[in-house]
Amino acid sequence: MQYNPEEIHVTPMDMGGSAMSVIGLSKSFGDTPVLENINFGVDEDEIVVLLGASGSGKTTILRIIAGLEMPDSGHVVLHGRDVTESPARQRGTGVIFQNYALFPKMTVEANIGYGLRLRRRKRNEIRETVDRLVELVELQDHRTKYPSQLSGGQQQRVAIARAMAYEPEVLLFDEPFGALDAQIRQSLRKEIRALLKKLNVPSVFITHDQEEAFELADRLAVLNAGRLEQMGTPFEVYTRPETEHVATFLGAANLLDGTIRDGKFEHQDVVLELSPDNPKCREGDKVKLVFRPEDVFLRRPENLTQQYHQLATGTVDEVGFAGSYERVTVTLDLGKHKPIVVTRPKTETAAFPLRVGQSVTAGLVRYRVIKAA
Amino acid sequence: MSNIRHVRGFDLAKPLSIGVMIAIMLPLVLLPLASIFIFGTSNGLDNFWKALMAPEAIFALKLSIVTSFWATVFNVIFGLFAAYVLSKYNFWGRNAIIVTISLPTAIPTAVAGFALLLLWGPYGLLGRLIEPHGVHIMFTAWAIILANIFVTFPLAFGVIKPVFDTMNQSLEEASATMGATRWQTFWHVTLPGLRGAIVTGALLTFARAIGEFGSTILVSGNLASRTQTAPLYIFAKFNEGQVEAANAIAIVLALFSFVIFSILFFARDWLEVD
Repeated sequence: MQYNPEEIHVTPMDMGGSAMSVIGLSKSFGDTPVLENINFGVDEDEIVVLLGASGSGKTTILRIIAGLEMPDSGHVVLHGRDVTESPARQRGTGVIFQNYALFPKMTVEANIGYGLRLRRRKRNEIRETVDRLVELVELQDHRTKYPSQLSGGQQQRVAIARAMAYEPEVLLFDEPFGALDAQIRQSLRKEIRALLKKLNVPSVFITHDQEEAFELADRLAVLNAGRLEQMGTPFEVYTRPETEHVATFLGAANLLDGTIRDGKFEHQDVVLELSPDNPKCREGDKVKLVFRPEDVFLRRPENLTQQYHQLATGTVDEVGFAGSYERVTVTLDLGKHKPIVVTRPKTETAAFPLRVGQSVTAGLVRYRVIKAA
Repeated sequence: MSNIRHVRGFDLAKPLSIGVMIAIMLPLVLLPLASIFIFGTSNGLDNFWKALMAPEAIFALKLSIVTSFWATVFNVIFGLFAAYVLSKYNFWGRNAIIVTISLPTAIPTAVAGFALLLLWGPYGLLGRLIEPHGVHIMFTAWAIILANIFVTFPLAFGVIKPVFDTMNQSLEEASATMGATRWQTFWHVTLPGLRGAIVTGALLTFARAIGEFGSTILVSGNLASRTQTAPLYIFAKFNEGQVEAANAIAIVLALFSFVIFSILFFARDWLEVD
């Protein structure tokens, strides 16, 4: 079936999607909605990461793209072909399952060649492809082994090679690093990103780990309770979060309630100018000020220079060592309010050591205003 | 098992407990088995061999092997199919079917034979319909196969079903996303994972079928060289006072079981059923 864009109402936003797109996906299990109107796309050679907590619906999206689950409404389009009604086997997606799902009774070679054997390719062709892939994922010494004889990282490489053998339209990764320990995860992430970039395959990853999302993604999509809250490059999403969930899920964020007055953010005595890249706000809107711990600078009350936006004075509650930086909590003199978290690099801590109970003034280098939910 | 030693030096508990175990097994299992071998060969191996080579004895053994073989083939294929259906689909009455499949183990085998007669016999529910057309089931080898199928019905299913249940569903999903039809997935992915369970189920079924007596004696007619299986032959010869002839076949059956259970024990890594 040819996908006709005029028949489908697409939310107007820059979704990308020349290789793969999902349009208006919704699904409920019984009365519980798991997905609500999900739209996004993946370009050729792009890596998109769906980031969300468990229960956010990210796995369901992946399974719908693969054809392992049916949406209640919406479409899955692969290279211009609407595959929503096609069974999994006719879609030509490559799925890397969380536990890799390697066939235990097949050798590495047989696992990799399986998709080609199903497609009745010539024996020579299968052998050449398997050879090429075994080399690509550097498993030459393990090609006749069974999955149970391989390490987690090796199994994962087999899973990727196996999914790539039949030139899938899109590669789908279901939390592929979940089963590995922290050190291996990090090196594998780099390896896999490099590999995917070399191959130019459109890929979708799902993960709940924001560090992983930052490292892998060309663009990332943040999911919350079945909704796609924001999509953009990791830098965009981190520096310009549009919702409270996005702000707090991606790294730490301090929040301060306030109102728009005279086009400025206002909270008691705190008044901050709004830069043009903030979301459009109207006079009197309830908003939240969002600022990252690393964007706060602490000074002696009299010492705050012009380069910072004055926030408020306060008292140091806690000073904690966190390896490469120092983590400080400060209670601002703003009445009842949650203490803010500040992280300070070594240069700062050396120039201005802090102790508990000390009075400070907090200035911001960067902040953002989001609409209150 | 804990290997903590509470006693320094010689620990009496070990030889003592092993000794007690063997002492209990001796009159209950070991001596009865031994007596078969002792009596069977007490008149010399020549006589044993002669008893074994009697045409009636050979026929009985062959009939037992053939009928047990077909019952095994049927029950393994059905067990596989039933396990697939019952693991994959949830439907009304599913649990009732699982219980029913397991029933034949608990029913006295004589009742099983009796039940088959009531169904397929000349005046049975179905027998009444087919007998006038000259089709006879009871008192033929078919009856023996039916009896064997009935009494060994749950064995293969019972071994295969749990393996099916614990099988990783994402293997089948992976196969589907790679382009496999259901049948290809079953053939290339599911079936190889069940290899051990299938072989184990088959061996257990065969071992149980070849020794079946109670149902067979009712449905077969027990005609020497026609419908007499090895266990029936043993019973007939014993009744005629030919203990040696009975023993010769008994030894063969005992060896069969010994081989089958040795395979099940020593090949359990390969069979993956621990």
